[in-house]
Amino acid sequence: MHQAGYNQNCAPPDMAKLQATMRAIELACSSIQMHANPSAAEATILSLNQSPQPYQACQFILENSQLANARFLAAGAIRDAAIREWAFLEADYKKSLIRFCWLFIMKHAGSPEGYVQSKVASVAAQLLKRGWLDFTVAEKEAIFLEVKQAVTGSHIVDVQLVGINFLESLVSEFSPSTSTAMGLPREFHEQCRTSLEMDYIKEFYCWAQYAALNVSHRITGSDTAIPEVKVCSAALRLMLQILNWDFRAKKKAVESSKRGLDVYCGEIKQESNFLGRSECILVQPGSSWCDVLISSGHVGWLLNLYGALRKKFSCEGYWIDCPLAVSARKLIVQFCSITGTIFPSDSGYMHGQYLVQLLSGIIQWIEPPDAVLKAIECGRSESELLDGCRALLSMATVSKPLVFDQLLKSLRPYGTLTLLSVLMSEVIKCLMENLSEEETWSWVARDILLDTWTAFLMHLDGSGHNDMLPAEGISAASNLFAIIVQSELKAASTSAFSDENEYDNLHASIAAMDERLSSYALIARAASSATIPFLTTLFSECVTRLHQGRGTSDPTETLEELYSLLLIAGHVLADEGQGETPLVPKDIQAQFTDVVDADKHPVVILSGSIIRFAEQSLDPEMRTSFFSPRLMEAVIWFLARWSSTYLMPPEENKGNKSGCENYSNAQLRSEHSKNALLSFFGEYNQGKLVLDIIIRISLTTLVSYPGEKDLQGLTCYQLLHGLVRRKNVIAHLVSLDSWRDLANVFANERGLFSLNATHQRSLAETLALSASGMKTSEASNEYIKSLTSHMTANLVALSCKNDFKNIAQQPDILLLVSCLLERLRGVASASEPRIQKAIYEMGFTVMNPILIFLEAYKHESVVVYLLLKFVVHWVDGQIIYLEARETAAAVDFCMRLLRLYSSHNIGKISVSLSNSLRSEADTERYKDLRALLQLLANLCSKDLVDFASEPLEAYGVSISQVVFMGLHIVTPLITSELLKYPKLCHSYFSLLSHMLEVYPEIVAQLNNEAFVHIAETLDFGLHHQDGEVVDLSLRALKALASYHYKEKGMGKVGLGSHATSYKHPGGKVQEGVLSRFLCSLLHLLLFEDYSNDLVSSAADALFPLVLCEQSVYQNLVNELLERQANQMFRLRLTNALQSLTNSNNLSTTLDRVNFQRFRKNLHSFLIEVRGFLQTI
Amino acid sequence: MSDEEHHFESKADAGASKTFPQQAGTIRKNGYIVIKGRPCKVVEVSTSKTGKHGHAKCHFVAIDIFTAKKLEDIVPSSHNCDVPHVNRTDYQLIDISEDGFVSLLTDNGNTKDDLRLPTDESLLSQIKDGFAEGKDLVVSVMSAMGEEQICALKDIGPK
Repeated sequence: MHQAGYNQNCAPPDMAKLQATMRAIELACSSIQMHANPSAAEATILSLNQSPQPYQACQFILENSQLANARFLAAGAIRDAAIREWAFLEADYKKSLIRFCWLFIMKHAGSPEGYVQSKVASVAAQLLKRGWLDFTVAEKEAIFLEVKQAVTGSHIVDVQLVGINFLESLVSEFSPSTSTAMGLPREFHEQCRTSLEMDYIKEFYCWAQYAALNVSHRITGSDTAIPEVKVCSAALRLMLQILNWDFRAKKKAVESSKRGLDVYCGEIKQESNFLGRSECILVQPGSSWCDVLISSGHVGWLLNLYGALRKKFSCEGYWIDCPLAVSARKLIVQFCSITGTIFPSDSGYMHGQYLVQLLSGIIQWIEPPDAVLKAIECGRSESELLDGCRALLSMATVSKPLVFDQLLKSLRPYGTLTLLSVLMSEVIKCLMENLSEEETWSWVARDILLDTWTAFLMHLDGSGHNDMLPAEGISAASNLFAIIVQSELKAASTSAFSDENEYDNLHASIAAMDERLSSYALIARAASSATIPFLTTLFSECVTRLHQGRGTSDPTETLEELYSLLLIAGHVLADEGQGETPLVPKDIQAQFTDVVDADKHPVVILSGSIIRFAEQSLDPEMRTSFFSPRLMEAVIWFLARWSSTYLMPPEENKGNKSGCENYSNAQLRSEHSKNALLSFFGEYNQGKLVLDIIIRISLTTLVSYPGEKDLQGLTCYQLLHGLVRRKNVIAHLVSLDSWRDLANVFANERGLFSLNATHQRSLAETLALSASGMKTSEASNEYIKSLTSHMTANLVALSCKNDFKNIAQQPDILLLVSCLLERLRGVASASEPRIQKAIYEMGFTVMNPILIFLEAYKHESVVVYLLLKFVVHWVDGQIIYLEARETAAAVDFCMRLLRLYSSHNIGKISVSLSNSLRSEADTERYKDLRALLQLLANLCSKDLVDFASEPLEAYGVSISQVVFMGLHIVTPLITSELLKYPKLCHSYFSLLSHMLEVYPEIVAQLNNEAFVHIAETLDFGLHHQDGEVVDLSLRALKALASYHYKEKGMGKVGLGSHATSYKHPGGKVQEGVLSRFLCSLLHLLLFEDYSNDLVSSAADALFPLVLCEQSVYQNLVNELLERQANQMFRLRLTNALQSLTNSNNLSTTLDRVNFQRFRKNLHSFLIEVRGFLQTI
Repeated sequence: MSDEEHHFESKADAGASKTFPQQAGTIRKNGYIVIKGRPCKVVEVSTSKTGKHGHAKCHFVAIDIFTAKKLEDIVPSSHNCDVPHVNRTDYQLIDISEDGFVSLLTDNGNTKDDLRLPTDESLLSQIKDGFAEGKDLVVSVMSAMGEEQICALKDIGPK
């Protein structure tokens, strides 16, 4: 079997051997299928794939084997071997391989084993791509001439299919997202892509078009399915595939290939910004395609073809989902998304005409909506409707909003929006009737139509100028919104009693509904003058119903409706901030220009009625009867979202006076109404009052809803946290009695200890953040002190108790300590320059208690972790501000902490009978160590940014030494087991490589044991499977070697004894560290598997290593050459090695230019030799 | 002596109760809880509601710290749960007797001889081998609700 492959391609075939190989492979194939000795069979097959030059054997199998699987495998083997050996195959032989594949598929056209055919076609495509840049234009033309003949010239169905399939493989091979890896740089794929797009792809399209055109009249003329149908649908599929190609304008393509490797990350498509989640991909083939796609009547032909097909759906062989109909519809939808420079710049006239033509065909699929939907309910396939919806989505995406609305006007008395509204209303009515069923077609239709509205309305919003919807559009939107709300409320009340709902908690339900609700909100805002009062009416009806039924009927259904209404109202009124301060939505600002009185502003009325309702939750009686935890969650969510937009908005003072002179009357009115809305809840109006209500409601949820974690989480994280992020709110916040109450209850009473610990942390952070609202820095520090003094005193007192060791592990003490630590951690993470002093004091006070706790709770991993995390946050917030003396104290404290932790944990074996407890214990150790590494990294930052007034050295503190010491303490705790946690591994290696890069001189001073440990770690990192870790290790290595080389150059010792090789007394040679790394890095590069992305950083490490250890390198090179038996390979290898170190004017200085040159050299070196080195 | 009296006595002995009440909502993952009279470590907490507009309840999955059996419980999150007082004490190992008991040195110089060797294979062999090699071993003994078990081992031998 092995020998078979060694036949040189020129030698006469040895029939007996070929037969034997074929039989061996056939046997292996059938035994794999029968599961008889699969590993031996796999080995046989693999040996074919890996043997050198197996082409003849493979070709023999392809031609002679009766077993389809064997032929399939042989094709794959040709591909693998040829890609591997491509560089040294003769040019003619390469071409003959491609030709062989092509002739094979032609010869076997119509063979029933389609998968073999498509495999061989794809092998041909891959080989063609591999040689794409080497082949001359004439050579390619010769190949494509035959393909063209097959697709367009012949009238044999099977031959046409073969040609089309080959083109499909080719196009997918050349498109970067679907291409197969070939071990070549990305630039290569990019060049192929560009070349195909520029020179061939349009031709392919024309061939497919021609083939389809030629058979279409025969299809329309016959009543039963004829073989040509296959050709036609394959051609349509190919056309669709080509239109899916990611076209780039020609100019850009040249630029991007120049930019080299950045081609993939360089361009962020602008459209994706405002397209949101819609799945519509724009097709922008550029102006050269105009003749084929636009002006040739191509669209009309396709619409007619589909129109003719529709009439045949009752005939035999045709139905609504038959392949031809599906391909045709998909292509039509794709036509709708064509846009860009393909249309002449005639202010959109041609594009409009084009879309109208498409719409005239598509409208038959969706109109009249009620009849179409009824038919679907009765069993008709929904795919035509869905494709119609998709087409609308594409049109809304590519056309300007008002143009989109106008499209239908030339066909019907109403606009596209009205059709869209009616269609979607019908779909939603269908949904309402089938609430219980999940994921039906009506869901899909609704989502696509929602996307259409979103695309349309976002365009309207993003276009800049205030295009208002026409009146017809507004009423379409408001009608639709009314039906949407009605359906949501119905869904709410029917699901009120369903117990097991996966969307039980608010987070999940909001996440699931958020996208949908924000699309609803867009629709509502488009017609806000009607929809906001509508929401107000619905809301007050619900509240009235609630009060009327009080005590007599079960309120659950109404509560659920209120819940939904709050979510909808929140989405309509305000945008999600995502960390920024959201503004009042433009559509809402732009409408209501006629409203002069702020308190008659519909937005104010709606907000007011919701806030008044929320305020009722303060009354204990009302709370128990109506305000269930779930309703309260919606209330808090609404208040959080609403307040970040409307409560004390930052710009209320601006624009009032300046610039008004130039405004026209209408602008003045709109400006006035906008200001009225903004200032109503502003600082000097109702704002403070509402803020007070909000704080009191928050305190209620924290105190009066014991154990309701979700509700309290929302209050802490969203509502309160959102409030303290805003400067002008904080200033008023700290002056409110209710806020002081909250701070007092938190700091001095025990009540809030029943909150979840992480919520306590967040609350502490929030309270501390509000300190910046104080007028002076003294007041802020005083405030922090009063907030924390009780807690720190508590901790100090506990730690001083004589019997603390005995009582420490009592659950109540444990709870108290962990709550207090969580709170301190919260305060520490609120560090700001202004309150830095107070927070330093806080940490300083508890330094000793922390060490005592660490001792007492050494077995209580939860507490240990809290302790470490507190210190991490405290150091993080403080370190850069600390004066030298304070730094010395802090650093000393950290070192004691590290030592203590290490003494407790080193050599410790905890064992539990339970697997899950054991893995928990591992996780806990991992988290601890991660915290320790963070601590060290935080300490490191002192060397980068330091605001202290005197240098640290005055106090004998050297941050770098401290960190190395810390690493030395921590490293023994990190086992290779623990490095399996990717996050820990990353932070460990990034800290290590940072230290080596910044302070290589300290490494040189390390003692042998510490140094060996670091070297071993780097070696471990080099062979890690995670590319990022390898990269970090390479960077560290580069730093070490460069340091050594530069120091040596200056006549210093560099790494000194660590780098020199010497003989042990026993005769064993201890190699220097650098030569060891040189060896293992070369081995890695030449023989092991790694990602191509690493080559650059490997080059950066290899270059200084080679310079440091030139003689070792020379020895390695000689060894490598000697091992190479094959003369041809040896010659290639010699040349490649030669140019690795000598080409590109490489010199022996370590500067940027040289590093770059070496990178280039290494890249080409590896492409040249890796193929044969790895396999032989 | 009845069980109850015994219970009362030992409570007085230790000067602390065996369990403490704590609100269910504040018990976190990795904390302790008593389920069906057994001291457990919580490995999973999830919350749900009794009906859409009802109150929250906590669902605990916990593991018996002595027997490693998995136990589950559902408690309204505003109600109290029992939390065991889990104590861990370090002792130096002075002897291993033939009948499977260990002899430990307490802080005040007495010996504690009522503890069996652990059943866990790896810990058992580590203790036996380490002791045979003459290492200085410290064992941690976990106790809760009147039960005791060796749970960890540390070599503090001379470096």
